[in-house]
Amino acid sequence: MHLHRILLPLAFACAGTKEDEKANAPVQGALDSGDTDTAQEITDHGFEGDVDFDPDERPPERLSELNILHWLDGRFVHNNRVIPYALNSALFSDHAQKHRTIWIPEGTSIQYTSSGVLDFPVGTAITKTFLMPHDLREPREALEIIETRLLIRGSEEWQAWPYIWLDDGSDAILDVTGEVRTIELIDPDGTPQTANYLIPQRNQCVECHEIRQNDGTRQMTLIGPQARTLNRTYDYEDGAENQLQHLSTLGMLTGMPRLDDVPTSTDMSAVAETVRSLGVDALDPSVRDQAARDYMDINCAHCHNPNAVEGVSSQVWLNHDADDLFHLGVCKRPSSAGEGTGGLDYDIVPGQPEQSVLWYRTMTTNVGAMMPQIGRSLSDSVGSQLIAAWITHLDAPDCSE
Amino acid sequence: MKCNALIALSLMALGCSDDTESKDTISIEEEADTDTDTDSDTDTGDVVDDSDYSNLSCDDVEGDCIGIPSGDTDALFEAVNLAEDDLTIILSAGTWTLDNAVTIRNADGIVFAGQGMDETILDFSTQTVQTNGVDVVGDRFTIQDMTIQDSRKDGLRVEDSDQVIIRAVRVSWSETGSDENGAYGLYPVRCSNVLIEDSEAFNASDAGIYVGQTQYTVVRNNLATGNVAGIEIENTQYADVYGNTTTGNTGGMLIFDLAGNPVIGRDIKVHDNIIEDNNHENFAPGGTVAQIPAGTGLVLLATRRVEVENNRFANNNTGDIAILGGLAIEGNQDSWAIPVEEVVGDYEDLDLPTDELGVYTHEVSNIVVRNNTHSGSGTAVDVYDLTARPLGFLIGAIYQDVAVDSILYMEIGESAYSATDAAGNSNDFNICAGENTEGTFSSMDVETMSSRLAAFDIPTIDELFRPAAPFAPFDCSALTGGEIGEIEITVE
Repeated sequence: MHLHRILLPLAFACAGTKEDEKANAPVQGALDSGDTDTAQEITDHGFEGDVDFDPDERPPERLSELNILHWLDGRFVHNNRVIPYALNSALFSDHAQKHRTIWIPEGTSIQYTSSGVLDFPVGTAITKTFLMPHDLREPREALEIIETRLLIRGSEEWQAWPYIWLDDGSDAILDVTGEVRTIELIDPDGTPQTANYLIPQRNQCVECHEIRQNDGTRQMTLIGPQARTLNRTYDYEDGAENQLQHLSTLGMLTGMPRLDDVPTSTDMSAVAETVRSLGVDALDPSVRDQAARDYMDINCAHCHNPNAVEGVSSQVWLNHDADDLFHLGVCKRPSSAGEGTGGLDYDIVPGQPEQSVLWYRTMTTNVGAMMPQIGRSLSDSVGSQLIAAWITHLDAPDCSE
Repeated sequence: MKCNALIALSLMALGCSDDTESKDTISIEEEADTDTDTDSDTDTGDVVDDSDYSNLSCDDVEGDCIGIPSGDTDALFEAVNLAEDDLTIILSAGTWTLDNAVTIRNADGIVFAGQGMDETILDFSTQTVQTNGVDVVGDRFTIQDMTIQDSRKDGLRVEDSDQVIIRAVRVSWSETGSDENGAYGLYPVRCSNVLIEDSEAFNASDAGIYVGQTQYTVVRNNLATGNVAGIEIENTQYADVYGNTTTGNTGGMLIFDLAGNPVIGRDIKVHDNIIEDNNHENFAPGGTVAQIPAGTGLVLLATRRVEVENNRFANNNTGDIAILGGLAIEGNQDSWAIPVEEVVGDYEDLDLPTDELGVYTHEVSNIVVRNNTHSGSGTAVDVYDLTARPLGFLIGAIYQDVAVDSILYMEIGESAYSATDAAGNSNDFNICAGENTEGTFSSMDVETMSSRLAAFDIPTIDELFRPAAPFAPFDCSALTGGEIGEIEITVE
């Protein structure tokens, strides 16, 4: 019974401010492709000294004072005890490239967990620096260094502290108020784009980085550094090595099993290269489907999981290990989505991405309808193609009764 | 404490001092005058400080407090992003032009207050990024005395928070009837103990006031105009909705459950409201409300234990009250099943159908409609979009020459239905209507009627069950789960 279906046949019978200060002057440098967030070729270790801060207090006003990293002549230079890392797949942020580092206090270590985020010791400092290439076809050229997000493991929970880089790239200044910056770029297909790039205010970090724990309290959490997303090779100065193995060898990671027993997620840079050059249909079906799920895991599941704070009202769970078809959105009516439905009836219609709210929201640039909620103003064509292909081939009954 | 240390630090950075009060009161009103940093304050420019705290200032409150000078966006963003527990943030009279949301996170007990709905304006019309206006997660949160206008998404969204007070807050979009307006005006969702009072919502493309998936709420003395839905109470338990005026919306009020949502709506009182002239063209870009015919007063959809009493219904052109089973909107019954372990709140006494998939929430049941007044409604049904709003089309086809009955029970799956024999209506779902001034009632088997219509066999009103008051047997004294008790919220 459905009034639409019953009655439908009848239808045929009847009737700026801050951004002005920014010159957008690209900084010379070199980076890797944007599909993972590797910035491997532009990193060096080079200086000693303590990384010294109180994890429960406001960190210094200048990022350089932390002694974690500097940006010099288009290269990152790290403290000798800082480890750069990359993720197998990364959140799409208007094509921004990301460079990540971990620092943990001497004498401490990260505890391995096979699922979820690794257990970092109090005092850990993680940085994520965002750089925008002027032309994504040449992602290593003409980089604008924009912001560094500092995540500190305090004695009670993680704290997020956003820094915005000075125009000359000499340092970044703590700024909790965020900024909306207009950035002109050329996307990987060669099309000029204007991003309304959001440098998040401090509270907006929490919008993604928060979960509700079993005891009912809300808690800041990391998203990326899980065993399965870190399980990849990184080109360190002294040679390529698996990232988890590297941390383990240095004594910074304890409890790691044999590498063969560590789960892994899709290496999105390889997938993206195939999609861009040969099309999504060139992927092996199992790789394609897993890539789509891993893409959604990192781009959607920080809100769309049962333990999230925001996103739960949708009742859509997109974590990589979610397997309930209804909660994936199959033949499920959208919840309070407003404009986000695009006028469509179901979150996912198997076989029909163009009829699926999930695909519409991840593809569109319509302000008010886009997903993720914050963090992008442009469309990610590789991600959209992966999701479309996954929906097209989804093995599930169609939505008619 | 961390909180005080942070505030002190931020104030030192701003070069500001405490005022002369001995209590811990902080003012940064002088910030624009004393700040010598030439490149950080282009927002405020050469500010003549016209701040006005005449209705509420930090002198009036105990505990930590920050005053936000008129139009000073940096001060506002700084305050909310460094706020820790139990801080009061008082905005001067004035207008803030904001390109990003005002957010509260990681802080409980925040009071965010302006000088009045006409005095303190947060203007988001220049937003280019996709964000709400005021966006909050935090317990014991109060927002009062301000206007939030032209946000790209929701006006005020408060999520997953306990003890939320929204008082004298206006949310509006300047454009009338635009599907590009934000979805929800005042939007507490997945909260508990929520009070919304003396507030206003205009021109939302979905609901002006939307209480979603919430336990314990009082929604009183508000005004909703020009929205697709004036007030929506969705998947909410224990709600008292009274003294509100909904007028000029597509639909005045909507009480409903969404398929598959684990907060099973129940125990909702709708009384002493004015629901009239809700005849605005439907301009929703999508979602459940896109199905509401223009001219609808109140819709009760897939909900239960609802009392509708002492309301004034008038001049809603399609009709005043529709009581509707969920299968009319979502026909796949499986999608209404909630796995038992996911259900939120009390449900055992509801006697809902249950099987191995879980508890089913599609039925509308235990509805009492009495002592309301009705006038002038149901004379011009919105029949114009069969695809988007099939219910309007169906109603219009049946009621061609007479006004639509005030209360329509559009039942699906009632165990027995007869248009002619009152005894043939088992009323298993306890739909109770009576003693409504000028109110008439009809019950129709909507599934059969729709199928007939689709076959061009247009039903007539003689085929509806249209009993005279008190509409026997649709008068029931005992609701499943017992009487609906007083609805109380707990706020510190």
